[in-house]
Amino acid sequence: MDVLGQDRREGLGRKAESRFVLLLMMLVSVLLLLSSLYSAEASVFRKARENVLDVAAPILSIFAKPIAYVQGVVGDVGDYFNTLEQNQALREENAELRQWMEEALRLRETIAVYERLQNYYAGPEATPIDAFVIGESNDAFSHSMLVNAGSGDGVERGQAVLDDQGLVGRIVDVGVRASRILLLTDVQSRVPVYVEDANLEGILVGRTKANPSISFTASTDPVVFTPGQRVLTSGAGGSLPRGLAIGVIVGAEKGDAVVDLYADYARTRMVRVVNYDFPVFEEAPEQGADEAPAEAAAADSAASALTPAAPAGGDPFADPDARAAAAALPGEPEGVD
Amino acid sequence: MDKRAEGLSRLVKAAAPTLFGLFAVLLLAAPLRFAYGFVPTPILPLVIVYFWTLYGPSYMPAPSVFAIGLLQDFLTGGPLGLWAAVYLGVQYIVLSQRSYFIGRELSVVWVGFAFAAAGASLILWLVMSLMSGELLPLWGLMFQMFITVAAYPVFSIAFSHLHRRVIVEM
Repeated sequence: MDVLGQDRREGLGRKAESRFVLLLMMLVSVLLLLSSLYSAEASVFRKARENVLDVAAPILSIFAKPIAYVQGVVGDVGDYFNTLEQNQALREENAELRQWMEEALRLRETIAVYERLQNYYAGPEATPIDAFVIGESNDAFSHSMLVNAGSGDGVERGQAVLDDQGLVGRIVDVGVRASRILLLTDVQSRVPVYVEDANLEGILVGRTKANPSISFTASTDPVVFTPGQRVLTSGAGGSLPRGLAIGVIVGAEKGDAVVDLYADYARTRMVRVVNYDFPVFEEAPEQGADEAPAEAAAADSAASALTPAAPAGGDPFADPDARAAAAALPGEPEGVD
Repeated sequence: MDKRAEGLSRLVKAAAPTLFGLFAVLLLAAPLRFAYGFVPTPILPLVIVYFWTLYGPSYMPAPSVFAIGLLQDFLTGGPLGLWAAVYLGVQYIVLSQRSYFIGRELSVVWVGFAFAAAGASLILWLVMSLMSGELLPLWGLMFQMFITVAAYPVFSIAFSHLHRRVIVEM
């Protein structure tokens, strides 16, 4: 320890002004903290966060590769010791899943029949974007993950992120080639959900613990839920698609339901960003506003034979081309024939 | 060694602790997940700020600490300035107690680090509770700080070798 502690003044700092600079820096960081507390979503901060994300993403990607490799090897070693049990469990699970598959196939057929009977239009399809987790905030209070897909890949703020088990969180910051997922356990996470078979809607609130809770505010009736019920996104507020699996209720705490998430954040490696276009409810374009699209829509609906009585352009989802053309060429309404 | 190479090597050595700090922040942001996420990653930048503030304050000037903290704020996604304020606060306390710790053995410095970590936790918890409008559970933070404090001697020994043999040695 003879050299340790000797001030040889060869570093970056100078002694004469060190205390002053320290106090100045403390002042700067406290001011920064206060301003970011009061305007966390200010565009300056967001822009800065996204730029730093883009710069750090390549470095984090380099880090993530050996880490994933080592964890794969270590995980494999652990697997050698309980192969028999795992095989047994997998066989049982496989048998169970086969039954589910049979049921799913049967249901698919039933649904197809109903679709043919009803005047049914499928909602817009979600186009998934796959991404790898390259970083996470190893922080007690801020829970987020970084993935290697950004606005260049079509990721946008607010989109839902799934892994193979269920909902992971939603996108909050988007760089060009990386973005940040706010996990469901973060204090700031609020996701509208519903409880299956219970007719209950609520908000899933992150509490920094492993299990977030649902706070029910909508109804004044006593809320009845039982452990084991599934929790899914409700799609309220139009921010996430309806029906994404989140977890199961495991208990109650002060009137709130505690939810065990399907997603296992310690094993989340690959995620899928759900690029979901919400159905836009527009005014139905007046018939006869533009001849050609109306004819096209009529021909289309006649050809599909699903909507024998539907007026041309009556449904905004029926023919996107017609809708777009009608929107682009707003003519005078000429009355309905 | 010619003049330019010497100057460059001096600059690299002078900037080394700062670069370690920035690197440690990146490492903290990597998905290490010890024991499948059960053991939180130790907050290595805190160790680096504490160590060099104590043994070579000129190698860890306040702007470096600020940069390390700010990068961590950016990567964790929390409010900007929080970790910068925490690290600068730790530096302020360590500088004020430096004359006591210099020359003491590792165990005393270790206890000092535990106090510094406790102080840092208090700031973090107060600010985040203020931000979220409720008293947040302390367990996760305490566990992570405990792991950090437990890992301190290993890093301290490694850094002191590095500091003596590489950085100060010309």
